[in-house]
Amino acid sequence: MSFKETDVINIVIAGTAGQGVITLKRLIEFAAQKAGIKRAFGSEMHGLAQREGAITSHTRYQKEIFEEERKNLHSPLICYGDADLYICFEPVEALRRGIFASNKTTFVLNSWTIPGVMITANLEEYPSLDKIMETLNGYSDEVYFINATEISIERFGQSQQVNLIMLGFAVATRKLPFIELGHYEEVIKERLRDPDLNIEALHLGIKEGSKILKNSLKSKV
Amino acid sequence: MQVKDARFIDEEGKVLMLGNEAIVRGCLEAGVSFAAQYPGTPTSDIGETFQRLLREQPELNDFFVHHWAINEAVAASECAGAAWTGCKVLNPMKHVGLNVASDALSVIALNGPNPGAMVILIGSDPGSLGSHQEQNERFYTWMFHLPCFEPHTPQECKEWVKLAFELSEKYDTIFEIRTSTRSAHSRGYVELGKLVKGKAKGKFIRNIPKYNSLPPHAINNHIRLYERIEKIREIIPQLKINVIFPGGNKIGVITSGMPFGYTMEALNQLGLNDVPILKLGLIYPLNYKEITDFLQKLEKVVIIEELEPFLEVKIAEIAHNHKLDVEIIGEKYFPKYNEYSTGLVATCLAKIFNKKPKEQMSKAIDYFNSYKEIIPSRFPTFCAGCPERATLYSILKATNQLENTVICGDIGCYVMSFFPPQECSDLIICMSGGISAAIGMSTKTDQKVVALIGDSTFFHTGMPPLAEAVGYNSNVLLIIFENSWTAMTGHQNDVLRYLINQGFSIEKICKAIGVPWLKVEDSYNPKKLTRTIEQALETYGLKVIIIKRECALQAHRWRMNQIRALKEQDKKIQEVEYFIHGCQMCYDCARVLSCPAIRRTEIDGFESMQIDQDRCIKCGVCYEICPNGAIHKTIFNALDTEVGWREI
Repeated sequence: MSFKETDVINIVIAGTAGQGVITLKRLIEFAAQKAGIKRAFGSEMHGLAQREGAITSHTRYQKEIFEEERKNLHSPLICYGDADLYICFEPVEALRRGIFASNKTTFVLNSWTIPGVMITANLEEYPSLDKIMETLNGYSDEVYFINATEISIERFGQSQQVNLIMLGFAVATRKLPFIELGHYEEVIKERLRDPDLNIEALHLGIKEGSKILKNSLKSKV
Repeated sequence: MQVKDARFIDEEGKVLMLGNEAIVRGCLEAGVSFAAQYPGTPTSDIGETFQRLLREQPELNDFFVHHWAINEAVAASECAGAAWTGCKVLNPMKHVGLNVASDALSVIALNGPNPGAMVILIGSDPGSLGSHQEQNERFYTWMFHLPCFEPHTPQECKEWVKLAFELSEKYDTIFEIRTSTRSAHSRGYVELGKLVKGKAKGKFIRNIPKYNSLPPHAINNHIRLYERIEKIREIIPQLKINVIFPGGNKIGVITSGMPFGYTMEALNQLGLNDVPILKLGLIYPLNYKEITDFLQKLEKVVIIEELEPFLEVKIAEIAHNHKLDVEIIGEKYFPKYNEYSTGLVATCLAKIFNKKPKEQMSKAIDYFNSYKEIIPSRFPTFCAGCPERATLYSILKATNQLENTVICGDIGCYVMSFFPPQECSDLIICMSGGISAAIGMSTKTDQKVVALIGDSTFFHTGMPPLAEAVGYNSNVLLIIFENSWTAMTGHQNDVLRYLINQGFSIEKICKAIGVPWLKVEDSYNPKKLTRTIEQALETYGLKVIIIKRECALQAHRWRMNQIRALKEQDKKIQEVEYFIHGCQMCYDCARVLSCPAIRRTEIDGFESMQIDQDRCIKCGVCYEICPNGAIHKTIFNALDTEVGWREI
């Protein structure tokens, strides 16, 4: 699907504390600024969410604004059903924040699970990845998994690059319009430690993500 | 190539900022020279940003002072003191902080901040996103006559802070900027202006009637306060911060702050772009003519505001006094609790205007509700290796899972003790409310009464109730977590750190105040701690156990930095690893300790617990408590090490 320059782009990023949700949100917003986006307004969570809790952020931007102010972006929160893209670092977090999704939504999910203490204590059940996929399909056909944690550990020897790999996958879906790859690279160079490593992770995410998208297209045909 | 911190540079331009960062920027453009606060979500990062500025530009220390105060009442009076030397001062606090500061503010408001200026920044929290309660603290603005701005975007945050300082100085009145967790932590564009340096020094000039609100001056200052507020009410239209979006519909909307954004998008979604909107920038006081002019053309007006009806009451009063025939609705359709969203506002407006909400939205809500039972919970919990978690384990063991025991919780990380599976807190009131409740409760029950408190809360307001407990020799066991940090709000470099660097200890305070039964323990030695708690609970009277162990998050960060540095020097370091072999699935580590670094898995077809090495910080508590000896410890480089584990 193609976007108009006046469209409001809505992205939900969800995960658990410490996975880099906020870092990724900021990267996208600062890259949007480099791309000359006219309005950006998004919400991030601080406070309690940092203690192993669930964490979500809403990123919203509008390339060009309408003269009539009432048609523009005004809220840092996405309306129910209005998300274009979900970037989820942990599968079950996509279900938890699913209310912002609809048939126009694309989900990219890291398949690495982080069970909470109630799962370990065997007092609650963690749904299978198949069940998660099936449930999210109730919103949209565009649900894609990537094992970003495994890829990060395999290539970089640590899980820290998960967020850049996930960003790469998100870029591959073309649901982040008007921001060019170069804008992300610029922001990474300015703001992150080990920029070379992170840019490599971004490219790796694009490569692996494109493969997954291509394969799924084949299986649908 | 790292760029310069755009928040602090003295250049014009457009920068993406959080609401809180924009507040700081506004202060720097207004020439603020003093700020004091106690940390609390959503205002903690205001202080962190100030501190960062001072680290990056130490030469500013001559012009600007930031204090992490010991509590909110102290911070408010500190700010008044600085303002009365002729300086501009900022006093941020969270909504419940205002309850603590209210005693001081009630008087400072009467006196007025002149010759300086004072702005209080209140971080409200509809939806209780980072707080222990939900309240509508907007009513303080009526009670103390605090003119109050409610910004919606970071740009407004910055502009209105500047305006608030200007008006505060001009009208000798404390101004309030009211943000919310949402507006404080939303990022948008901010147009930068020129920076103005704060005053290096001011001077206090004696004025007994102004600064002594006692009879007869109390009454005179109260009269003077009314006069100041009426002057402000008159000039509101000139400020041009209340904006009308015109339209021909006979039903209009009055709103402010974050709900304005939800309203705009909801109306657009419902195709109601002819509804006139009055967006209030200043929610107290209201200019009568501005309101009546807007109401005059309408049959109905919808007031959209979070929490208890505040604007609704005042607007109904204005309509009534001016004999306007307009129906005022709000709380009849909108909830008086929790945070709003575009979806919620659209749903309520759809009912009022007899419209159907967008199908995409109602479908999303219905579908979400159809499956939400399968989502496992993920509440906040103690970090891996947290000494507080280990203490709860010992409490649960020593009391046989809280048999005949009441745990009076408190505010700090340990606020999370009530979550399952530990469920180790029976009640929470407020900062130091736990020990106080325990004192009262212990006079009326024979149950064992235990109270919890952390070191920052102990300094905030915990010492007075401890003195009382000593005075009455209350039959209470008080457990004090001395973890050396104000951990819950993000480890601010606050006055607690200063005291620690001076060699203070809570043990000395307890001894000086006369605590009759005192033990200092380490929760990383859980068996010994369990025995000490058992002993304490068998003893009548006041008992205090101090858990002396640094916050694991900070200790781990420090240790990782040390290891990195030593590895760069090619030093051979002793390393410890814990692993599980022969697990009997007794669930002691998962349900009683419930460490998040332990996960349930299957090994060769057998169920077993496993330690997630990525998250384990090697505190060794699970190794100490495993009743089956199934948790093992390996030491790498045990013999030929250059730097021992304990030395890192």
